[in-house]
Amino acid sequence: MKTLVVAERKGSELRRVTLELAAKARELGEATIVEIAGERYSPMPFVSALAKKVESEKPDLVLLGATLNGRDLGARLAARLGRAYAADVTGLRAEGNAVEVDKPMYAGKVRAKLRVDLPAVVSVRPGALTLKGAADAPPQVENIEADTSAEKLTFVKLEGTATAAKRVSLSDARVIVSGGRGLKGPENWHLVEELADALGGAVGASRAVTDAGWRPNEEQVGQTGKTVTPDLYIALGISGAIQHLAGMTSSKVIVAVNKDPDADIFKIADYGVVADVFEFVPAFTEAVKKARAS
Amino acid sequence: MKILIPLKQVPDSTVRVKVAPDGKSVATEGITWSISPYDEYAIEMALERKDADPSTVVAVVAVGPARSRDALRQALAMGCDEASLVIADAAAPLAVARALAKVVEEAKPDLVLCGKQASDDDQGFVGPALAELLGWPHVATITKVAPTDGGVELWREVEGGHEVWKAPLPALATVHKSEKEPRYPSLPGIMKAKKKEIPERPISALGVDGSGPTWTVLSMEPPPTRGGGKILKDGDAKQIAEQLATALRDEAKVL
Repeated sequence: MKTLVVAERKGSELRRVTLELAAKARELGEATIVEIAGERYSPMPFVSALAKKVESEKPDLVLLGATLNGRDLGARLAARLGRAYAADVTGLRAEGNAVEVDKPMYAGKVRAKLRVDLPAVVSVRPGALTLKGAADAPPQVENIEADTSAEKLTFVKLEGTATAAKRVSLSDARVIVSGGRGLKGPENWHLVEELADALGGAVGASRAVTDAGWRPNEEQVGQTGKTVTPDLYIALGISGAIQHLAGMTSSKVIVAVNKDPDADIFKIADYGVVADVFEFVPAFTEAVKKARAS
Repeated sequence: MKILIPLKQVPDSTVRVKVAPDGKSVATEGITWSISPYDEYAIEMALERKDADPSTVVAVVAVGPARSRDALRQALAMGCDEASLVIADAAAPLAVARALAKVVEEAKPDLVLCGKQASDDDQGFVGPALAELLGWPHVATITKVAPTDGGVELWREVEGGHEVWKAPLPALATVHKSEKEPRYPSLPGIMKAKKKEIPERPISALGVDGSGPTWTVLSMEPPPTRGGGKILKDGDAKQIAEQLATALRDEAKVL
């Protein structure tokens, strides 16, 4: 099978999901990895450049990371090319003249297996495919220029949030520490942040917290926020509403800290601690530092 | 300004979704249907524009089964001005976008707001696909829209902040969130919505046949259940913290 992988970079580094896709593409057969060079992602210039590449290379399958930009680009590309499209899949296998994909639906409440006939466009959830480490050589990436003649939008400005720069993003993070209403207020978020920093992880939040304006929307994990699959998810003072669980139950290891022993979050946690977050979290942050140092 | 919102009716997000006995679909018996959550945010965003400028017209349209009429009625009760229904029972995603493109060509909105994805298939296809078919620019996953000279400014949530884009009209955006939570229908809103006509027609009346590239469902199952977790409770906070850190490092191997 001939596969075209659309690479994404964060800063100067290829995103981990690009390496995951490149490894999968090599496993499926002939792989080409392209990166669209442009100042910043914009749908029309990117789709236009990518569609030209697809028309010349004629890959059976176009793979993108199911990232913010990858999902948008994949959808518009599939419409331009009239190809079948599956978004945010968590597994993918060749099956004759089709691919069979695993796709969470209903915000993760259902796992579907779908047959998608080729040619197709598929976006794959970051972290869902395994990397074998050193065996996966860094891929050769071919650059194509964004087609700026297709642009109809004007970029005005970037408004940054203060917390953004220093931590890894939720979708890339292998460790996520999320806080809920149990933290009692935004002034206590240093507890979440210190633990996240001790683990080298990202900071998340429950919907109750982002709705209350304690934290920015982009940190929300759950049905109307981000769906995440880190190796370690730590829920602090989160009760475990079904909408929150939908966004994080696929995490490999889940830790829950909550005062209420009947909180639903404990039903899916691998490790639970029934405790007051204000007492437990500082002690745990220290213990993590020690455990990682030894 | 005229704003059009295509909406989809989906199982309510508080409902426990069950796989049907055929193992290939979701059991719909007794289910509560609602407007898909991101579509509700799109409606709220449009109604906030209408609050700021009462000359704004907010229209909703659904391409779907006949039951979608209830979702349209709900949108009218929230304060939308117009609603129409295109009946399509199992149209391919691209056919839905094609039908919507026809509706847009007729209704001539300045701005189309779509939820960023429907909460049933979680695809996020129809918004960008509709913009593509119309040849319109689009901005994905916005949280704010504001009119500006000759167009609109659209705030797009990205890692680390917001990108602000200016789009000429007509334009399309997919909505991640509105500034406020979606409003509940008021009693007068509900009364008014009851009296409004919701014209309906089959998808074929738009010259669209419902076919298009899609997938075949091989199976559906509930996610694997988690459980059998441990509750750590021996000792004081410091001791439990140390047990947990050690377990994460040596047993779970995630530190």
